[in-house]
Amino acid sequence: MAVDVAPQEAAPSIRKVRLTLAMRSLRENWSLFLGTRIGVIGLVIIIFYLVLALAHPILMNTVWEERVYDPVVGYAFDETRQPAPPSWNHLLGTDPLGRDVLSQLMHSARTEFLLGLLAAVVTVTIGTTVGAVAAYYGGIIDTILMRFADLMVMMPGISILIVLSALIGVEHFELALIIGILSGFGGASILLKSQALSVVVKPYIEAARAAGGGPLHIIFIHIVPNLLPLSFLYMMFTVTGAIFSEAILSFLGLLDVRMSWGLMIHTTEAAGYLLQVGAYWWLIFPASLSITLLCTSFYLVGRAMDEIVNPRLRRL
Amino acid sequence: MARYLISRTLQILLTLFAFICIVYFIVNAQPGDISNVYAMNPELPPDARERLQNQFGLNEPLWKQFLVYVRNVFTGSFGVSFSFYPRTVADVIAERLPRTVALFFTATVFSFYLGFLLGKIIAWRRGGWTEYATTIGGVTLYTVFTPWFALMMIWLFAFKAGWFPIGKFLDPVLWRDAPIEANTLFGRMMLTALALSIVVFVVFVITTRLRIAGARLIQLGSIVASVAVMLGAWRLTGHGHLAWDIVKHMVLPVLTLTLISFAGTMLLTRNSMLETMREDFVLAARAKGLPEKAVRDKHVARNALLPVVTSLVFSLAFAVDGGVIIESVFSWPGMGQTLVSAAVAEDLPLAVGAFVFVGIFVLLAHLAVDVIYVFLDPRIRY
Amino acid sequence: MSGYPLLAVEDLTMHYQTRAGEVCAVDGVSLSLERGQSLGLVGESGCGKSSLALALLRLQPENAQILRGKVLLDGVDLVSLSEEEMRKYRWNRIAMVFQSAMNALDPVYRVGDQIIEALEQHSNAARQDMVERVGELYKLVNLSPNFIQRYPHEYSGGMKQRAIIAMALACEPDLIIADEPTTALDVIVQDHILREFGNIRKELNMSMLYISHDMAVIAEVSDVVAVMYAGKIVEYGTAEEVFNKPIHPYTRALMSAFPSVTGEKHELATLGGEPPNPLDLPTGCHFHPRCPFATEVCAEQEPPTVRRGDHWADCWNPPED
Repeated sequence: MAVDVAPQEAAPSIRKVRLTLAMRSLRENWSLFLGTRIGVIGLVIIIFYLVLALAHPILMNTVWEERVYDPVVGYAFDETRQPAPPSWNHLLGTDPLGRDVLSQLMHSARTEFLLGLLAAVVTVTIGTTVGAVAAYYGGIIDTILMRFADLMVMMPGISILIVLSALIGVEHFELALIIGILSGFGGASILLKSQALSVVVKPYIEAARAAGGGPLHIIFIHIVPNLLPLSFLYMMFTVTGAIFSEAILSFLGLLDVRMSWGLMIHTTEAAGYLLQVGAYWWLIFPASLSITLLCTSFYLVGRAMDEIVNPRLRRL
Repeated sequence: MARYLISRTLQILLTLFAFICIVYFIVNAQPGDISNVYAMNPELPPDARERLQNQFGLNEPLWKQFLVYVRNVFTGSFGVSFSFYPRTVADVIAERLPRTVALFFTATVFSFYLGFLLGKIIAWRRGGWTEYATTIGGVTLYTVFTPWFALMMIWLFAFKAGWFPIGKFLDPVLWRDAPIEANTLFGRMMLTALALSIVVFVVFVITTRLRIAGARLIQLGSIVASVAVMLGAWRLTGHGHLAWDIVKHMVLPVLTLTLISFAGTMLLTRNSMLETMREDFVLAARAKGLPEKAVRDKHVARNALLPVVTSLVFSLAFAVDGGVIIESVFSWPGMGQTLVSAAVAEDLPLAVGAFVFVGIFVLLAHLAVDVIYVFLDPRIRY
Repeated sequence: MSGYPLLAVEDLTMHYQTRAGEVCAVDGVSLSLERGQSLGLVGESGCGKSSLALALLRLQPENAQILRGKVLLDGVDLVSLSEEEMRKYRWNRIAMVFQSAMNALDPVYRVGDQIIEALEQHSNAARQDMVERVGELYKLVNLSPNFIQRYPHEYSGGMKQRAIIAMALACEPDLIIADEPTTALDVIVQDHILREFGNIRKELNMSMLYISHDMAVIAEVSDVVAVMYAGKIVEYGTAEEVFNKPIHPYTRALMSAFPSVTGEKHELATLGGEPPNPLDLPTGCHFHPRCPFATEVCAEQEPPTVRRGDHWADCWNPPED
């Protein structure tokens, strides 16, 4: 690679300047974000569930006895009839198999976060790369990648996942990867490519090319960093999609997972308590509401960020 | 226009081909083949498995298998369903596709109309408490855990209030001695609905074009009149009560699907409106002395509609997914429910067949959206 | 004829609420314009010209507010009218040719229908008469009547501009506000349209408020000139006086930015510095940081008005008469 010596020497200071600039814009955007009510509501809900997820292992190691409170194999020996209504020992009651609902709820929260995060990271990594590559090279590469993305976007994702899970055994980790790949090559690359197009025409890209920067250098050092705000925004929507898909699939009993919010409702349905909403509310509401709230909150945060990142929506 | 449609159709066919390739790839990427399903069966003699492989052509080279597969897809033969044996997949799908189309189409029309109307209104009064309430309510409905929401609807309107049946397509008791096949009747119902919408559409187009005074009254009158004629005709056939039974079963799924999908359109419309409101022609419309309502409806909303229709592509897939879930919760025997139950029962031929049809359905809907777009945007004339 | 001038603006002040703070876009502007007269409003971009134009029609954006002042049209104060009454004034009495005429036509409707839409608001004539009227207007602005039934994207830039002018003339308004109407066009088309527009205007005896940053264009079209800087009118007079004996240093700087028509050689002193930040206006005379003649007093106190007949300017250090 033909890289000048001078820029390398100057690099630390440039990096420092970049960092300062990034911090400043981060602080500005943060204060803008706090100004959007919907974003703050979403963030509060996310933090609530994050606390639940983090508290679970602590509770299991201190207060909660493992053979009673284990979310998968525990059994509430203190209750005579299962499912038992909420009591002081079991704040959200027990499920038809005698397991503590609150413990299941908290345990699953962690899984949902990990699943959402992994799916989002995969999506954005693929989407950013594909978007930057398509925008940089253009021509036939761009056409192929974008036609493929169109196809992916048109496809109903949950239906694909339903068929896939019938064909192969799918666990959380695979599910996150599949969701990440589907949305990464689909919507994410379309969105990020359109953003990358506006970066590619900037003079500093031309300057980098003139200075002898190779395609890889230009794509990953100059284009990709400019896509990051939008990528981060897209991550929020992917998290919503991933948690939602997981919940649907495990509700239908199509996933090989041991515990999740969707599975909790599946268990309720399998035991025949589904339509007894009034009498057995704790079997249905905690899990369903958690899925809904967490999906909604990530979506709200995404929308709030959209209003900040997208200048056309900004108020005067 | 014709050329544009032809090129779009070709593109869609090409996409369909790519789609089938992907499905084929997914199905065949598993280790082993379909005979593995039987391999675990101890009662199956070893040579039987080989016979099976020969029978299904699994010993042929891969490219030949693929060609046969593609030919089968385009001739609509997807083999025999395991769970509905001895019915063929094509037969099961032929029975269920119309039901899905009816459900999906009705819900999409309602949700688009509702979403566009509300989006228009919240964009116009930006910043009030209405905006926050509608945004949060809309996002919640959009991201709500669909099975739960459907369940609550059933519980509330069917279980508690008893206004609608709990699920399924029809009431078997009522249909025991029915003189007509349910599918035939349903086909006629759909034709009636189609005729009705064509009449109303034509009346609307004519009255708007001619700019007659009292167009509203004529439009309203024509709707009332044609609905009355239709109801009368159904009464005369003597199957009215059976048709009514199906309609009653349809209301709740349609309502639920509408509610979960209108929010997407609403939020999109709002953003699109906010962007359009900054255009100079909106300022010009105000400067011309147009009342606010005319500025909003004739200029802002009309232009904001274009990107909303374009992004219907995204929401189509979303609505199809929503339909799949709604159908399986309501036991509505359509494509979605078929897909899910086939997947749960590991009925592979049916699951793949249903999935291919869902894909074709989405592509056709996409083509329909393209055609609508050509009518909406005068800048597209190929 | 009433004793009023056609348009009289008195002490008009408009503020914008922005996230960064309050911006005073129009600051105590007073103007008057006789019937048939043409007023040129000149200044750099961002000085409040367009805000003033929008305020006259009460079309300011939602975050803007007219704090005080009057806009008198034939003696009727537009600021105090109800929205519904104001609507009847728009286009019927005051029409506007927009800054970006390119985008002022709605892309999804036929151009003829958009003109008819304006006519419908202000008359009860039969549709057939309106169609004829559009034909007349097209003839007036030299457009082929074949284009009445076409969509905006089928028009060229110059044709759109003509269509916009035809639209502005549709209701025969008393006043036309033209906000940099020709900046997007190339010079020859610009010149051509400008001249035709001027002739039509004189023929129909309409008044015009012409807004531009370009002194050369203003010189060509105006009877009276107002120079605007940071929301204020800093110099006002007949075109002849302002161009021959400018008082305010800002006017002089603007004028030196275009070559003399007479061929005399001036030093082309370009205007240094940037327009002031509207959130943080300089004290005293807003122009003092960029003014070559600035003294201490300029930074401290608002400048006095120097009057030479009807020609006036706000400046501490006017040149000798």
